[in-house]
Amino acid sequence: MSRRSTAAVTRSALGERGGLTALGLLLVLAGVAALVVGAGWLGTFRARRPLLDPIAVDWLAEHADLARAIALVLGLLALVLGLRWALLALRQEPRPDLVLDHTADSELTVTAGALADALRADAEAVPDVTRARARTVGSADAPAVRLSLWLRDGADVRAVWEELDRTVLGRARSSFGTPSLPTAVRLELETAERQRVR
Amino acid sequence: MRVVLRVLSALIGLAVAAAGALLVLEVAWAWARPDDAPLAVPWPRWRSTLSEVDWSSDGVRWTAVGLVVLGLLLALLAALAGRREVRLADPAPGITVVTSPRSLARLVGHHVRAADGVSGAAVTASARHVRVRATSRMRDEATLRPRLRELVGNVLGGLPLVRRPRVSVVVDSPKDRR
Repeated sequence: MSRRSTAAVTRSALGERGGLTALGLLLVLAGVAALVVGAGWLGTFRARRPLLDPIAVDWLAEHADLARAIALVLGLLALVLGLRWALLALRQEPRPDLVLDHTADSELTVTAGALADALRADAEAVPDVTRARARTVGSADAPAVRLSLWLRDGADVRAVWEELDRTVLGRARSSFGTPSLPTAVRLELETAERQRVR
Repeated sequence: MRVVLRVLSALIGLAVAAAGALLVLEVAWAWARPDDAPLAVPWPRWRSTLSEVDWSSDGVRWTAVGLVVLGLLLALLAALAGRREVRLADPAPGITVVTSPRSLARLVGHHVRAADGVSGAAVTASARHVRVRATSRMRDEATLRPRLRELVGNVLGGLPLVRRPRVSVVVDSPKDRR
């Protein structure tokens, strides 16, 4: 439950970070391996052999069909995985609708836009909040809300924090009839409007 | 940093996909018509170049060093793109509240600048550490520093922070330069 609200704080970049780390380590390992071979630590004879080793070339020529089949499979794999990775990185973060009642003969859904507008209006009514933005995040099975509040410079952060659950989220919970709605709130302080000196 | 990560991920993914597509194309072409010239990639020329270069040549060494540096940069970028939010206590179960380090710094700076004897302040903040650098024309460091430390401590104590950051205050005053 609270893990869902924590996950809603920001879009997860775990996949991208993991992939990039793996790729980086792979490049480091390849570079180090090439340096080790070139320095002659695996034998001075090995260091003086060409990159495209004749032994390997001979083996490939003997098993040409197998090598071609493996190359085709690897190429297709790279094509599919690369496109998948690019699409996941470019995809918009989903805004699931909130399904309140899902029985055989009735279905009650609050659209993501309606929920966001209601929360935003409630949040902007809190004193010291100048601007608010709300959206649903997560999946349709496990929706959560991300609420960003911009506070006036000099705002009483603790007072706003105490108001959050009681007014804003409490009203949303009671009006939509959901006992629980995992929510991540981002509080941002705005800079003071500078006074122009004439 | 996260935008860079996302864009870079997309570009690398597209590059991998393009390389895979070229590989499939060339292998299939060479398999079907072994005597024809390659379609897009001049791989026979690459093959003859690679069979002439040996592992201990300068070109291979510099390429290897380049790979190591590039790999470290990518890993560093991935490590730096983590979350930096400052956690506030949960007001109720199922509600997570965070604020940005910049907002925390703004809040502290607002109070420090309003303090008596402070003419300017620069604040940097993270979830673990708040650094204040104040300038004062009227007071020296010895008198102002403990007061500012207490002030910042009170400001942070008034916030429902999950973890109380350490506070360090430096006062820059012309009085200390005499």
